[in-house]
Amino acid sequence: MPLKRYKKYVSLLMFTAPAFLLYAVFLLIPTLGGMFYSFTDWNGLNKSYHFVGFANFAEALGEDSDFVHSLWFTLKYVVFMVVLQNAIALLLAVLIETRTRSKGFFRTVFFMPNMISIIISSFMWTFVFTQVLPQIAEKTALAFLDQSWIGNPSVSFYSILIVSLWNGVGYMLIIYLAALQGVPQHLKEAAVIDGASPFQRFLHVTVPMITHAITICFFLTLNGAFKVFEVVYGLTGGGPGRSTQVITLNIYEEAFSNNFRYGYASAKSVILFVMILIITFIQISVMKKREVEA
Amino acid sequence: MTIRKTTSFFVLLFLLAAAIIAVFPIYMAVLNSFKTQEEMFRSVLALPSRLHWENYSQAFHKIHMLNSTVNTVTISAIGIGGILFTASLAGYKLSRTGGKLSNAIFFLFVASMLVPFHSIMIPLSRMAKNLSVQGSTYGLALIYIGLGVNMAIFLYHGFVKSIPRELEESAQIDGCNEFQSFFRIIFPLLLPITVTIAILDFLWIWNDFLLPLLMLTDVDRYTLILSTNMLFGEYNKEWSLILAALVLTAIPVVVIYAFFQKFIMEGITEGAVKG
Repeated sequence: MPLKRYKKYVSLLMFTAPAFLLYAVFLLIPTLGGMFYSFTDWNGLNKSYHFVGFANFAEALGEDSDFVHSLWFTLKYVVFMVVLQNAIALLLAVLIETRTRSKGFFRTVFFMPNMISIIISSFMWTFVFTQVLPQIAEKTALAFLDQSWIGNPSVSFYSILIVSLWNGVGYMLIIYLAALQGVPQHLKEAAVIDGASPFQRFLHVTVPMITHAITICFFLTLNGAFKVFEVVYGLTGGGPGRSTQVITLNIYEEAFSNNFRYGYASAKSVILFVMILIITFIQISVMKKREVEA
Repeated sequence: MTIRKTTSFFVLLFLLAAAIIAVFPIYMAVLNSFKTQEEMFRSVLALPSRLHWENYSQAFHKIHMLNSTVNTVTISAIGIGGILFTASLAGYKLSRTGGKLSNAIFFLFVASMLVPFHSIMIPLSRMAKNLSVQGSTYGLALIYIGLGVNMAIFLYHGFVKSIPRELEESAQIDGCNEFQSFFRIIFPLLLPITVTIAILDFLWIWNDFLLPLLMLTDVDRYTLILSTNMLFGEYNKEWSLILAALVLTAIPVVVIYAFFQKFIMEGITEGAVKG
């Protein structure tokens, strides 16, 4: 029945065309275009460009010490973020879950920072780091608060971490709380009767029942941490010098505020993309195996 | 029993301490936004001598509050409306149609969810320039639709499976064409997932910084966050003014949070579970 098949395709195209058109123009073509330009020496202004093979990739990973530094800085940030963001969110979720009357209150308070945009958060924290904490240190015995939170690169790594955690923990907390509510009560009770300590109950009953949420939250934090931009932009601007520059900021500067080497910057973007792809793939395939059914 | 009570007490104490840390920067920003610069230097923790509202009226003008809010609302509304409209159509049809073409299109949408924005920002800004949508409010909204449909289609696609086919079949027997049966029968049934998508996209578009930074050049078109970012750069160290601007920028989201808290939290959980 060729007519029916034809009609089926027409209706498929009519329903998907509006979404697909905008998707193709603003996402699909730029994705492919970026990959294409990463093999060229295009500067974004000239019409002409040459193919340079893998030269951009070799330069980025071999000669560009700023980029390599930003790569390591980002990786360090990713490791800290994935561990801390999940650990803190899970800890808070488990503790909140034990409260009866104050549960809603704590959930509201801990999620609130997440509603404020990251860039606004980092401006607020800039105030805290440069004005509030030094003054508190001066007036009280809490001398350790008087740090060069933003000016000293080895300290500002932790400042970046603090702001990211402050902003991001709430989101994971909500997901963990929902997962904890799904743990069947009878399993916990059975464990109590069998004489399991609270910690054993958490490790052997709760954790296996929420592995799905853990997988999702690891995926979200991993992906988000690799793409960190606003916190660093708002807090240190990558400085002093380029000491706190992350990959995305390095790409941004390369393409928009330095020398307009679009082809070269595209190669860096492709490196970021491939890195996220590989690590996400590993994470998902490792963690999926551990999930159990209720 | 006493051991349990003490533990419970310490848990409460710990949570309260954590809550204070969570609220502290916001409290500091609000408190000091009502002070003069000198009062701030004397003590950041003390209460202001009186409420210096003039910080706010100054900030209100400097970030073009009304204009910036209108811009942000326009971009969010068109962006979210566009995503919901186009993605519900596509997600529904892709879910109902079998075959290689349908699967291929769906795969293309879903695979693109892994592409980080920073990997496409360079070609995207070229594309915007070439199509001369750069600098335009509506152009930016269109870009948000293009970037947002993939996740929305993914969520709609999954949700449509739970709706029995008999519904639209009987509607078609009653003389509805495909679009009529979609908008009259199916779309209302998609409401729960529509709300989820709308919330996730609202949080994304309203709080987004980098895309507007790349796309908008004219101060009159700036979103709230861009205006505040500009003010932060220009009035470096004038904290009373900056803090007032930060609080003004945060107020709309906090109000929305106060009203829609339940929906927002459900939306995040739904989005995470399906994703």
